[in-house]
Amino acid sequence: MNDGATLPAAGPPHQAAIPTSNERTLDNGLRVIAFEQRNLPLVAAQLVVRCGGAAEREDEAGLSAMVAALLTQGSARLSAPEIAAAVDALGARLDAGSGYDASVVSVSATTPAFPQAFELLADIVRAPAFAPAEVERVRTKSISDLSLTYANPSAVARLVGHRVAYRDAPYGHPLAGTAATLAALGRDRVAWFHERFYRPDDAALVIGGDLTADEAFAMAERVLGNWRAPATPLTVPSGAPIPPPRAQIVIVDKPESGRTALGAGRVTIPRRSPDYVAAVVATAVLSGYSGRMNQEIRVKRGLSYGAHASFSPRRLPALFTVSTLVDHGRAVEATEVTLATLRSLVDRPASDDDLVSRKATVTGGFYRGIETIDGITGALAEHVLFDLPPDDLQQFAARVEAVDAAAVRDFAARMLVDDVFVVLVGDASRFASELARTHPVRVIPGDALDLGAPALEASAPVEGRPIVHDGVG
Amino acid sequence: MTALPTISAAAIRVAPFAYADRTLANGLRAIVIPDRRVPSAALNVAYRVGGKDDPPGRSGFAHLFEHLMFKGTTDTAPETIDRLTEDVGGFNNAFTTEDITNYYEVIPSNHLERLLWAEADRLAALTVNEDNFITEREVVIGEYDQRILAEPYGMLDELVNREAYRVHPYRNGVIGSPAELNAASLADVVAFHATYYRPDNAVVVVAGDCDVEETFGWIERYFGRIATPASAIPRVRVVEPPQTAEREFTYRAANVPLPALEEAYHIPDAAHPDAAALDVLETALGAGRSSRLYTVLIYERQLATSAWASADLREQPGLFSVRVTCARGVALGDARAALREELERVRSEPLAEVELERVRTQIASALVRARQTNNGIATAFVRATTERGDPATVNGDLERYLAVSAADVQRVALTYLGAENRTVIEYLPA
Repeated sequence: MNDGATLPAAGPPHQAAIPTSNERTLDNGLRVIAFEQRNLPLVAAQLVVRCGGAAEREDEAGLSAMVAALLTQGSARLSAPEIAAAVDALGARLDAGSGYDASVVSVSATTPAFPQAFELLADIVRAPAFAPAEVERVRTKSISDLSLTYANPSAVARLVGHRVAYRDAPYGHPLAGTAATLAALGRDRVAWFHERFYRPDDAALVIGGDLTADEAFAMAERVLGNWRAPATPLTVPSGAPIPPPRAQIVIVDKPESGRTALGAGRVTIPRRSPDYVAAVVATAVLSGYSGRMNQEIRVKRGLSYGAHASFSPRRLPALFTVSTLVDHGRAVEATEVTLATLRSLVDRPASDDDLVSRKATVTGGFYRGIETIDGITGALAEHVLFDLPPDDLQQFAARVEAVDAAAVRDFAARMLVDDVFVVLVGDASRFASELARTHPVRVIPGDALDLGAPALEASAPVEGRPIVHDGVG
Repeated sequence: MTALPTISAAAIRVAPFAYADRTLANGLRAIVIPDRRVPSAALNVAYRVGGKDDPPGRSGFAHLFEHLMFKGTTDTAPETIDRLTEDVGGFNNAFTTEDITNYYEVIPSNHLERLLWAEADRLAALTVNEDNFITEREVVIGEYDQRILAEPYGMLDELVNREAYRVHPYRNGVIGSPAELNAASLADVVAFHATYYRPDNAVVVVAGDCDVEETFGWIERYFGRIATPASAIPRVRVVEPPQTAEREFTYRAANVPLPALEEAYHIPDAAHPDAAALDVLETALGAGRSSRLYTVLIYERQLATSAWASADLREQPGLFSVRVTCARGVALGDARAALREELERVRSEPLAEVELERVRTQIASALVRARQTNNGIATAFVRATTERGDPATVNGDLERYLAVSAADVQRVALTYLGAENRTVIEYLPA
């Protein structure tokens, strides 16, 4: 028995149960994935439409987001205030949103309220009204929201990072659009996008919680079974090619920012790549409080309150980024520390022993993610979206465990060390000239920044070489 | 108009939590809520010390201390808690409110005993030295720069507390001021620890995959041996005198994208019988797209880009706040007048029965959702115990909200939302 003076040993691990799912395809082509989880009186569903922002044209940036935002703003049967009243009266959550790869409509409610809440989801997906007044309202609010985004240097750095990495390729333009693209979008384009891409034969429904799989299939059949696909087959534009990654520093001069936001990154791999799990583990080596970014930036140097690494699954090669927020006067140091920290994955690679804990963060996060019904629904939806094998959820933790030090180092050497871009949003007069001594640097005045332009400024050539400044001011 | 779907809030049923609540001989209170569904457990250790307990001229101390608690003990290296959680696939963090400092860990359940040991260890044997103190003070000031200065509207919460309270220490907020933090000495910090970090000022809550008796055995073994000082714990006795006239302030900053406004009204403490009606009022005004503020200010009149209400119920009398951020091109005066009309409307007429039923259903559904995670459950018990003085109130919450009538809501609106009880902050671009 422990006397209290020393750290006791951990007990043997308890067994983790991963929810299993059942799948059926309705006659209209809609895939239905059901799971049962009965600890609380809650049921959730997500309808995943496999087209999102990546299917937009450059001059229609924000279209898929506008379509999704308008779904909850009125159907043929219910006005926007009626939908809102119904959702609240049911204590439900009904949300629609779009990412680059998909548009997702989700609903959850307590068990007695769910059948009615699920009918609301079907109603808004199948027969949205897109009333002109609602289109205007969403447009006005979206443009208003952009000014909040643009006031946040970290958010601007993220958006600029996408442009730097992808230029005019599918993930380059801002998902929320720009004031100019939003202003040009009309009801006809909104209706076009919905009619073309929201269709049962390219969608999947994940549904589960406090009901049996049979009950879930019956509910899906009753409410969505007569949703008809258009006669024309689905075609999706392929988009411009992703430009080759290139080392460069892009500075957006915003002297009014309280601090400088730093984002560094590179285009890496798609979700279906065999390297995906190694990429997730490499991200884990860098991220989290004990990750290398936070250790180097915050713990060792006090450069910032925090530093993060981020890598999201995508159908096309995805952007990997690290980010932090620092005093303008320490932006040069933060840039060099960030680049050195990425190089450290190769210079002093994580050992197999180091990886034990970093992999545990991935598996622990995975298990916590499926603690909630919404989390299980989302995990299953991701598997549908990327056409992963049905047992991938069961196998994910074991695949993470199988990643070794060589795999992480190899992935980092190929993907995270060379050709890394850096974006800095802050007071350029404090750091641009010093960085320009050792890096190719381009400075964009804050008021000239145009996220709607692939080269970030209306006047700059898309294929232009980086502009090297010897000094600023 | 089509008949709208509806359910009765009373149809939503949740089983009461089965929990054990014991107090050790040294005064430490421990609560265990077993749930063996997933092999994971949440541990919360809350100390009854928050922003309001900061020493005079030392605002931000409770929060600074939250940081110092991660810097190691006589037995362990700095960041040991991070190693014991993150490195096994869990996580940990802490937060400081006006009333409490709460440390929490979520871990695979076979690691629970280790975290109980580590939490007891940092209560009993924390290392505070000049190096830790200086480093963490810089980190805290960095957090101030990031959350308060760099964030648009970051200063608004600070301003509301500072102007709504004249004498109660809630006026100092939680993050404090960099100047006062810089004026602090190591001796101040050591004295603060000795005053508030003691077993009889702590609440330990475990929720999740555990055996109740085994868990209490661990708590007794690791926390039970820590002595309680003989001195009394200082408590804030200051009572904010009733406000008698409206107060109004204007603040300007360079990084304000759109004009915003907050109105704050003094309300009673979280254990007061009016607390549930104030929560219902908050939901009716500000929660969801059918709430009054969303419907009128954002949807119908397009005066605002965001609008919310908050019943900030605390251990001591708190604030009921409403906040609007103007839509582009809208004059703040227009948004403010519309907001005022909505507040007058909840005072002049009761909620319709259908609206009240909707609000009750929203609240009941939120209560069910909050039970999805072990940490959500543990934190609910912490707050009930520290803010309302009784963990049993968690199991009474559903009934408490179902019992609120339309007349109750109108009565609290009339009682608390009067002009003389109001502090207004206009937050404008420079």
